[in-house]
Amino acid sequence: MTDVLQVEHLSISFGGLKALDDLSFTVGDSEIFGLIGPNGAGKTTVFNCITQFYRPDAGAVWFAPGADRLARAGHHGTDKVDLVGVPVHRVIKHGLVRTFQNVEIIPELSLIDNVLIGGHIDFKASMLAQMFRLPSSRREEAALREKARGALAFLSIDHLADEPAGGQPYGVRKRLEMARTLMAEPRLIILDEPAAGLNESETEGLAETIRRVRDEYGCSILLVEHDMGLVMNVCDRICAISFGKFLAEGTPTQIQRDPKVHEAYLGERDDV
Amino acid sequence: MSNASAMAVRVARHPHVRFLVFGAVLMTLPALASSGIMMTSTLSTLGFTLIYAIVAMGLNLLLGYSGLISLGTAGFMGLGAYLAAYVQDDLGLGFWVAVLAALIVPTFIGLLVGVVSLRVRSIYLAIATLTISEILLKTFEQAEWFTRGTAGKQSSYPVVLGIQTDRSSMFFIIVVALVLVMMLTHNIVHGQLGRALHAMRSSEVAAQAMGVNVLTYKLFAFAVATMYAGLAGALYLFFLKSSYPSTWNLFLSLNVVAMVVVGGLRSIYGTVAGAFVIFAVPELILKELPVIGDTPGLPYIFSGVLIVVVIMFFPQGLRGLTDLLRGLVTRRPSAAASEQAPEEVAAR
Ligand SMILES: Nc1ncnc2c1ncn2[C@@H]1O[C@H](COP(=O)(O)OP(=O)(O)OP(=O)(O)O)[C@@H](O)[C@H]1O
Ligand SMILES: [Mg+2]
Repeated sequence: MTDVLQVEHLSISFGGLKALDDLSFTVGDSEIFGLIGPNGAGKTTVFNCITQFYRPDAGAVWFAPGADRLARAGHHGTDKVDLVGVPVHRVIKHGLVRTFQNVEIIPELSLIDNVLIGGHIDFKASMLAQMFRLPSSRREEAALREKARGALAFLSIDHLADEPAGGQPYGVRKRLEMARTLMAEPRLIILDEPAAGLNESETEGLAETIRRVRDEYGCSILLVEHDMGLVMNVCDRICAISFGKFLAEGTPTQIQRDPKVHEAYLGERDDV
Repeated sequence: MSNASAMAVRVARHPHVRFLVFGAVLMTLPALASSGIMMTSTLSTLGFTLIYAIVAMGLNLLLGYSGLISLGTAGFMGLGAYLAAYVQDDLGLGFWVAVLAALIVPTFIGLLVGVVSLRVRSIYLAIATLTISEILLKTFEQAEWFTRGTAGKQSSYPVVLGIQTDRSSMFFIIVVALVLVMMLTHNIVHGQLGRALHAMRSSEVAAQAMGVNVLTYKLFAFAVATMYAGLAGALYLFFLKSSYPSTWNLFLSLNVVAMVVVGGLRSIYGTVAGAFVIFAVPELILKELPVIGDTPGLPYIFSGVLIVVVIMFFPQGLRGLTDLLRGLVTRRPSAAASEQAPEEVAAR
């Protein structure tokens, strides 16, 4: 099995606080990988370091974007690139796309327009061609709109395609954010607390959806989640961290039995 | 319904066709003036209203869609005006070169300001544009070879396509420019460019994660806004046939902000309505009122009060008001609740 993502010796501090301390883990091809840890453990910070919102003080983020993407980007004789230092807006071009802990959608736009933002990098028509609606740009827009409709359908919210995203219930907005990631034909999707704010039946649906995305899109999924039921149910492997440090890695059963994980969660929550 | 008539309905519903119809209606105004139904001074006021609508359209792209603020509108508009006069009257290069210069030079200077200020943080754009506008204003006062200073630059109605224009034909040209600007703005905001601007306003972080190069799109919005201001400046010059430095002050920039806010952020027709309320209403109505009509600074007070009222009670501006009225008339749940501008619904 090849690895999609190798996080190596990642460290970052904010002022005096060491938010991440020499953290390493790898996510395999078509794997659903969970990152867990108590509040403030540094999970979102890991995501921000991977997607280059934060520049780590030390360490590497090796990513295998796939042969065709590598060739397009002009990388030869290698199967992976270090994302550290790549401009934030170029990260998605490698096939790495994320959602946010507090759902970042555009309330004023319709669902389908929100999804189309996920296809931003696929627009090849020049600004001028778009400003004058040249046929080339109209064709491109139509094709991507079709693709966006497909992504909405995959998450069963295509009937809401033309509704404004702002007025939608939380569950729909979360699915919308997920649909948007699909536009990028991702190699790896990073989900920050996808179950937060969902009710029980919605969470069950989410587990199903995550597996379906992995199977149909052939991508890997890295998720941070506090809902241990979901994590244990859906993840192939899990990495537990605490205060920015590696605690344990393994299958859900191994993690559940790990005394260090229990200790980290002691007094905080008892659902591990 | 037959195929042909279905087609006809589709064409009639196309937003661009609506803009053309809107323009055609405006084109009847000079006839009203020449037949004496409307005063010619009223025609002038409406012409300037449409010119301000063009500038405001640019600021709406910035403020409404991109969430950026510029306080330099007046400076760039003034630059467009003086360039147009300089190219037409001093260099004798004619209308088209004058318009081209008024489009290109302010846009170029605007881009330079943007590159420097937008790298840091959006708020610096407000400061940088205010500064550059004040510098331009001082230049308009001092550079007499270019502007004739405070004595004012005099110009004349241009010759366009071999025809000597007058007040009415300049009004036509303004309408044509406005309709083109409306179409262009519509194209921008309803495609990938507009979505990227929306994304950037909504959350820069999320926009970047989706691959939007935020700096590029900020510069894009700023360049278009500056270009509209330059165009409006040239039209202003040709319509008034003169330009004085005192016109291009901060109050004008703030008034353009008022037009956008009152008309409704992210609404094309709303912007035109905003220009009408902020500029034409004080000119045509308030000044004629008994007693208060002579109050010094009345237009200032009017736009100030309006901004406060709109922000407090009608956050969607006039656009929200029309939605509300339509909701009342058709007795369906208030359409104002949906955040769609009328033309956005029409685009579907
Ligand atoms: N930009 C920043 N500046 C300063 N401190 C930060 C920054 N980002 C994160 N931190 C700190 O780093 C630590 C880890 O935060 P992080 O958001 O990664 O935690 P988390 O594991 O995602 O927590 P939660 O489960 O609550 O989402 C916290 O102490 C936080 O305050
Ligand atoms: Mg977090």
